[in-house]
Amino acid sequence: MVQNRNKLIELFIGNLFNSIVHEILEKAVSKELVADKYRKELASSFEIARMYREKINPVNRSLSDKDVFYIKNKIVARVKSELMIRISKGYENIDLELVELLTDKALKDVKIS
Amino acid sequence: MEIISKVSLGSRMDQVYIPKNRIGFDIGNYVIIKPLNLEIEKKPLEKIYFYRIKNIVSIKLEIINEVFIIIDKYVQNYENIIITGSFLEEGFHFNDIDVLVLTEDKISLNIISLDVKKKTGINGHILVLSSKALVRGLEADPLYQMMLSRCVAQKRFIYKTKPALNYKLLDLHLFKSKTLLDNFDILNGREKYNLVRNLVAIYLYLNKKKITVESVDGEIKNIFGVNVLKIKDNVLDKKDFIRKYKLIYNKSFNLILRGIEHGSK
Repeated sequence: MVQNRNKLIELFIGNLFNSIVHEILEKAVSKELVADKYRKELASSFEIARMYREKINPVNRSLSDKDVFYIKNKIVARVKSELMIRISKGYENIDLELVELLTDKALKDVKIS
Repeated sequence: MEIISKVSLGSRMDQVYIPKNRIGFDIGNYVIIKPLNLEIEKKPLEKIYFYRIKNIVSIKLEIINEVFIIIDKYVQNYENIIITGSFLEEGFHFNDIDVLVLTEDKISLNIISLDVKKKTGINGHILVLSSKALVRGLEADPLYQMMLSRCVAQKRFIYKTKPALNYKLLDLHLFKSKTLLDNFDILNGREKYNLVRNLVAIYLYLNKKKITVESVDGEIKNIFGVNVLKIKDNVLDKKDFIRKYKLIYNKSFNLILRGIEHGSK
């Protein structure tokens, strides 16, 4: 199936957003977490994001500043909004400072920035 | 393979009963029956415990037995070995064999997995837990309950647990199922089934329903109107399926948020 670049970028954003929210929630409950190898079998959003990245040109180097700016801003905003839903209901231990840090790291890992 | 059994009194003929789940002794085979000197051998050579398993073919029992022998070779102290997952389903549509080893010891998982693969030809998916961790998992995680609802164990077990709704953990687990909504087109049938099963198990758990393989698969059929085989075969009506999936996802998420709001864990 041929997908246009903008669609691929949106799919990439959606999956990286999932992956970062999950990582922050995991840190918030780390003490209560039991070994979860069963769910580690579930399709990983980060791996899916990586797969979409490999279809977005340029594949072997960073995207343009404009693309990076758009992608990063969109992910950070979506992650913060998703986490705020929980915080507004009294969910504690969610570290919002991690949002930008993890987003930057993930974007570097997949050669977006 | 030997089986020790007792001669029972019948009306017209006496008989010797043997377990339905066994290695060898197929229907139609001829066997020798001879008296056993109980002073010498009191224990059967092999004992396996089945939980909610109606039928299992003897080749799978041989594999299970081989896995037990392998674990026994590499792990000095363990409390139990439990086989679970799709390997126990009817037929041969499994990707690997899920093995839960209950021990406090550190185990070299790679060596065991390689040995399982070498001796059985099947990928061994080894999960190591302490008994305490297993009990905590059973108390708070519906997938653990489902895992042990149908299994084969080397030793008999009974776990008395008090279900404790931990909404933050459930939120984390539920969030994984969000992946299906964004990636319906690229996920294969097995991946879709795993995500749906995770979602529905959490949904049932939040509604204080019993979690077993059968109850979850039954609820999937109720909600989506399709047999789980259709999901595994990836033959779904996308629009209808996604609509129902979103509905259950949102219902579950709202229950979780309400739980968090009311100060529960």
